[in-house]
Amino acid sequence: MLTLPTFVAMMFVTFVMLRLVPGDPIEVRRGERGITPERLASLRHEMGLDQPVWKQFGDYVWAILHGDFGTSIVSKSPVTQEFFALFPATVELTVCAMIFAIVIGVPAGVVAAVKRGKFLDQALMGVALIGYSMPIFWWGLVMILFMSNTLHLTPVSGRVDLIKYFYPHPTGFLLIDSLITGPKGAFIDVVRHLILPTIVLGTVPLGAIARMTRSSTLEVLEEDYVRTARAKGLSPFRIVGLHALRNALIPVVTSIGLQMGSLLAGAFLTETIFAWPGIGHWLVNSVFRRDYPVLQGGIMLVAIVVILLNVVLDMTSSLINPRLRHER
Amino acid sequence: MKSLKLFSAVMLLSTMFVGAAAAKSLVYCSEGSPENFTPAMNTTGTSLDAARPVFNQLVQFVPGTTQVEPGLAEKYEVSADGLTLTFHLRKGVKFHSGVNGFTPTREFNADDVLFSFNRQWKDDHPFHKVSGGAFDYFNDMSMPDLLASIEAPDPMTIVMKLKSPNAPILANLAMDFATIQSAEYADFLMKKGTPEQFDQIPVGTGAFSFVEYQKDAVIRFKANPDYWGGKQKIDDLIYAITPDATARYAKMQAGECQIMIAPNPADLEAMGKDANINLISQAGLNIGYMAMNAQKPPFDKIEVRKAIAMAIDRDAILKEVYQGAGQKAKNPIPPTMWSYNDAVKDIPYDPAKAKEMLTAAGITSLDTDLWWMPVQRPYNPNAKRMGEMVQADLEKVGIHAKLVSYEWGEYRKRAQAGEHQMAFLGWTGDNGDPDNFLAVLLGCNKEGKPNGNNIPKWCNAKFQDDVVKAAASADHEERVKLYGDAQQIVADEVPWLNIAHSTVFEPVSKKVSGYKVSPLGSHVFVGVDVAE
Repeated sequence: MLTLPTFVAMMFVTFVMLRLVPGDPIEVRRGERGITPERLASLRHEMGLDQPVWKQFGDYVWAILHGDFGTSIVSKSPVTQEFFALFPATVELTVCAMIFAIVIGVPAGVVAAVKRGKFLDQALMGVALIGYSMPIFWWGLVMILFMSNTLHLTPVSGRVDLIKYFYPHPTGFLLIDSLITGPKGAFIDVVRHLILPTIVLGTVPLGAIARMTRSSTLEVLEEDYVRTARAKGLSPFRIVGLHALRNALIPVVTSIGLQMGSLLAGAFLTETIFAWPGIGHWLVNSVFRRDYPVLQGGIMLVAIVVILLNVVLDMTSSLINPRLRHER
Repeated sequence: MKSLKLFSAVMLLSTMFVGAAAAKSLVYCSEGSPENFTPAMNTTGTSLDAARPVFNQLVQFVPGTTQVEPGLAEKYEVSADGLTLTFHLRKGVKFHSGVNGFTPTREFNADDVLFSFNRQWKDDHPFHKVSGGAFDYFNDMSMPDLLASIEAPDPMTIVMKLKSPNAPILANLAMDFATIQSAEYADFLMKKGTPEQFDQIPVGTGAFSFVEYQKDAVIRFKANPDYWGGKQKIDDLIYAITPDATARYAKMQAGECQIMIAPNPADLEAMGKDANINLISQAGLNIGYMAMNAQKPPFDKIEVRKAIAMAIDRDAILKEVYQGAGQKAKNPIPPTMWSYNDAVKDIPYDPAKAKEMLTAAGITSLDTDLWWMPVQRPYNPNAKRMGEMVQADLEKVGIHAKLVSYEWGEYRKRAQAGEHQMAFLGWTGDNGDPDNFLAVLLGCNKEGKPNGNNIPKWCNAKFQDDVVKAAASADHEERVKLYGDAQQIVADEVPWLNIAHSTVFEPVSKKVSGYKVSPLGSHVFVGVDVAE
């Protein structure tokens, strides 16, 4: 219901905010060399930057309505072309990081809730808190220095061994491409390259998911139906696994949806450290270069993906919680 | 649809090279993605480096030096009046075949030279507006003002006529913007309806041909078997795009790349001790300076500028800001550049004398501003810290400097407009010619107004006369003398305080041989080999 107004508001706010940031895309590129006022005026005219902001915004909205998200000022490539070239890498990493966070975070939260107040609870939540507050840049470099340079267990960065494996990437998802078109050993190599960035990107959501699962499970464990289940003599495993967890996961799924949204465009630090060619790095670079079309178009495209993702997660919540279906 | 076709073409091409594991590969850890692959349209080192393996110029820099040698022109002559340059083109040079579905039907000739220059020069050229049409270097090097005509009297000769004699033009022509591209490839793409691919999928005459580019991930080249300079020893050249300097070093240590750009200053010591790495260094072709606006009192007085220069402890700045990766500057040009005047006496650090001179000039207390750049540059790795140190030094002689900064584009624009009183800035040379420093950074126009890049806003008639005469002279000895005199004038009048020339460090694996660090900051892989 609120999707369209949200999208329009975001388009407007992004557009205006970018123009409030000091710096001109042409001036920034010129660096020490500078540019004559005449040449600057001519280039600004060619790019339409000399038009009033309301006119620029109108033109931009009109272009978006026609499916045109603009052309990068820097590379002169269409924004959608660059986005779709980089987006698979981000999705692959985000999904892996989220799977890592869920697979470890949910059981850790449940165990902590069941062992409430005990040593295991405190230890797990202590680790979760550290994970949640981990400075990603530092954590990434520590992992590289320890896992790659000291133990030689994983590659340092990138998505694949550039010397050994050179094959077509029809989907952009290297886990899939390595199986379809890659030579023998490519899939394992891609998995090895994913390990460190997955752990690093997944650490913060892992902490959040574990803490959210714990508090949600604790709440559910106090409910009457859980007490009834206990009174019926059900095993603790069945009580937690079958009755409590299903209800406890509802806020966790919502939280996962929000985390996915922020990871999709916010994996800048992980992408920078691990030379991961994703959209986070692309968007942040475009801020430094004042590449307005990339920023505007990129943010809009990410917004579309996040909105769609949330629709899917809302549907998933309905599957988990029948009450939501009935309410509708 | 076009992008899909392009993608398919690249993928089809890439399948041809599956299983290249047995080939000899060199991996260079670069720092970012190129803007495109047409050097004439780029000004950043990252973009120019990315296209360089594919192309040549009429003349070129000898690797590791700023000396000019024949390239696609096997020889050239300059007329006695300095107004005509005749280039005799190299015969039998082939453009890369099979890239983006293009197969050349002819060898390199004068049409390609005319195409490459006219595209930048003539507004009505069919490719002038393709990909935005910004040819910054061509304009920055004043080529439209210098060139009278470029003609091809026969298919293997180019005659370039100048409006006035200009000795640095040969060095200009060795720069990346003067790259020669294929006119036939341009026609091929125009007929195909995809002219913009000309700047995205490059075809040249260079030692390596383009294979694949994945944004923010990798650029692949393969050795050109028909290269006019002979096939290279390495088969594959791979640029692994790695934005973070610490991660680049970690890749070097793990053997994932053999050469890397821009190491962290903090890692230099460890790199120097690494048994697998050669840490090569070379004096950078740059200058970091603090300009004093000679059009604003009291900086219009030579004694005041000298006193301020004397009050600043540059040795401390070198230690703290450059962390040993720089040398104190006494001239606006670096000592590796020909015509460097070593006889110039450097300004000593003497705060007591400085205070005395300021008092003599009637200044016992002065409120001023000091601008620091918001960006990191090789010639000034930490302008804010430098500003704080200079501020503290000036305080000791009664000058209260307020530190000021702006967004980078704004900073440069305001500094060029002369809004500052004192400001940090610097320069990295383009072509190794002193004119590229002295005339560009301290020159004035015929009306005696400072050029845009003249941040001290200082004009001196004798200095101007010397650099103009030197640029027009074909006599090397005369040029050395004139530029030497010009440096002495700068030393006498102190329009700016020369702070430092930074040192360029490049970590190279010990398996690599034949690699030379360029003083121009470019990365050249011709003649490089890597042990198995």
